[in-house]
Amino acid sequence: MTREQLDSLAAEFRYVVTDAICRSGVGHIGGVMSLVEIVVTLYFRIMKVKPENPDWPDRDRLVLSKGHAGPIVYTALAYKGYFPKAWLTTINQNGTRLPSHMDQILTPGVEITAGSLGQGLSCACGMALAAKHDGKKHRVFCIIGDGESDEGQIWEAALFAAHHRLDNLIVICDYNKMQIDGRTEEIMNLEPLVDKWRAFGWETFEINGHDWDAIHNTIRKADAVTGRPAMIVAHTIKGKGNRETEGLVDCHNVKIPDETTYQRIMCGLECKYDLPY
Amino acid sequence: MQGIQSINIAVNSEEREDMSNYHDMEMRVVYARTLKELIERDPAVYCLEADLGKADASIPEISKHHPGNFINCGVQEANMIGVGAGLAKEGKIPFCATFTAFATRRCYDQITISVAYANNNVKIVGNSPGITQGPNGGTHMCFQDLSIMRAMPNMHVYSPADANELRSVMFHMAASKQPTYMQLVRLKMPKLFEEGAPFDPNQAKRLHEGKDVTLVATGFMTRFALDVARLLAKEGVTVDLLHYPSVKPFDAKTLIESAQKTGTVVTVENQNIIGGLGSAVCEVLSERHPVRVKRLGIPDQFGEVADPDYLFNKHGFGLEHIAQACRELSRSKSKKL
Repeated sequence: MTREQLDSLAAEFRYVVTDAICRSGVGHIGGVMSLVEIVVTLYFRIMKVKPENPDWPDRDRLVLSKGHAGPIVYTALAYKGYFPKAWLTTINQNGTRLPSHMDQILTPGVEITAGSLGQGLSCACGMALAAKHDGKKHRVFCIIGDGESDEGQIWEAALFAAHHRLDNLIVICDYNKMQIDGRTEEIMNLEPLVDKWRAFGWETFEINGHDWDAIHNTIRKADAVTGRPAMIVAHTIKGKGNRETEGLVDCHNVKIPDETTYQRIMCGLECKYDLPY
Repeated sequence: MQGIQSINIAVNSEEREDMSNYHDMEMRVVYARTLKELIERDPAVYCLEADLGKADASIPEISKHHPGNFINCGVQEANMIGVGAGLAKEGKIPFCATFTAFATRRCYDQITISVAYANNNVKIVGNSPGITQGPNGGTHMCFQDLSIMRAMPNMHVYSPADANELRSVMFHMAASKQPTYMQLVRLKMPKLFEEGAPFDPNQAKRLHEGKDVTLVATGFMTRFALDVARLLAKEGVTVDLLHYPSVKPFDAKTLIESAQKTGTVVTVENQNIIGGLGSAVCEVLSERHPVRVKRLGIPDQFGEVADPDYLFNKHGFGLEHIAQACRELSRSKSKKL
């Protein structure tokens, strides 16, 4: 895909996922928008998957440990063809198969249920270990949050993955530097974050998480690492791409109580697209 | 599930020459040997530990013979559950073992979300339940694992009473896709069942036939309950003894039939009387066949460093306490509730 095509797809994803979240009246817009370029890169440039056969044994796996960003993965899965795009209008509605947090039973293409923070990375370790034991070549990607990195279980898994030399595990930290109650540096400082992962025995990378080339090239480099897991700390902007949310601490879980708010938030996006449903 | 299984109660514990005399071994050794056997039958079976592999006897039994299927997570119970969930998602059958306190209450949310809610086929094993934690005392003495695991949707909860039943339960666990928690008594236990005794989570086992009082037990306490039934038979009080190797699912039919016959029920468990076996019994009977029930176990207190006899006496659920409760309820059952 050309850079123009990627930019267009990302803008369309931001428009569609914002509309889909708004329909339920409330949603995690901030942490969804910071991940758009990363999720698009994974599903449209990196990962080997077969949407028509979600359980294809040799597929690459993605575990979204920060499960509250589910809607951006749902958007990617819908555009890849795992399920009809119309499902996106059901996000967080009664009886939906697309809940706010990832659910491996409900949603085709979702590998691991996640939402109670810190748990997905441990599951990704188990999946990567299974692949190694079975001599499989597929990769396990995992996205964690920076707020999520306050959880002790993240660091248990960090020890485990390094100890077992899980070089088929590539983790991306969505480092938007905000969590629910404020900035990470004020709530629970993570710095020096990259040094911490390096000290835990991981190969580390640090990128701009909205830079197409940086994301793509770094994942490829991380994929080539042997003997240790790889951590890509991706500097991102929470609420990216919408002037109503970008860089605002309070954009974690946005309420859209009425039509006026909906119009304001949709007008904050860079481009307008025809909704695919 | 109709009727009660035909159970052969062992009349003696004659030693056998072969290696299958599991009752001469500690239950943890039986656990490790059975798990080794399961791995040899199906390489998808994994043994996960959290730095208690020696206590669970999987070191050296499995670490030596099947190092590829042995994963020691270090002191990381929460991560062990998550790794187990990931392995299960890839078709493996992980048995994750540690002490009951750490296997359940320490990582309750990880089990809830990564295992039960996601329906990942993880087997969780809690070693040294209740007062059998003796020397480690109150910090390790978990009296609520049956209760909290029973309250988790999509989770089966088992507590085998002897080595042969332990083996049957483990074979069942390895063959099923059901998230499961199993209590593992670490000690050597007297023989109650023949080798290959059937295990069906939907069926209680009647170990003693009687008409005066129903006595319900599970796991570590069943051996004592059987002693009580035999003792009281000599006094002319006949005990209908039901052993529940599965506390969830719970065989309501057998309990109700017994309560209809005897008119009164005593429960005994190596747990807090809130939420475990006694509560399961009361839930069934209060809704479907109300009779008087006496629950024996830990009366909502924490544990302490002590031997079993001390704790039996302190909390009132030893042999004589069980016998006395059975006598009293069998005498008073004609009184209205």
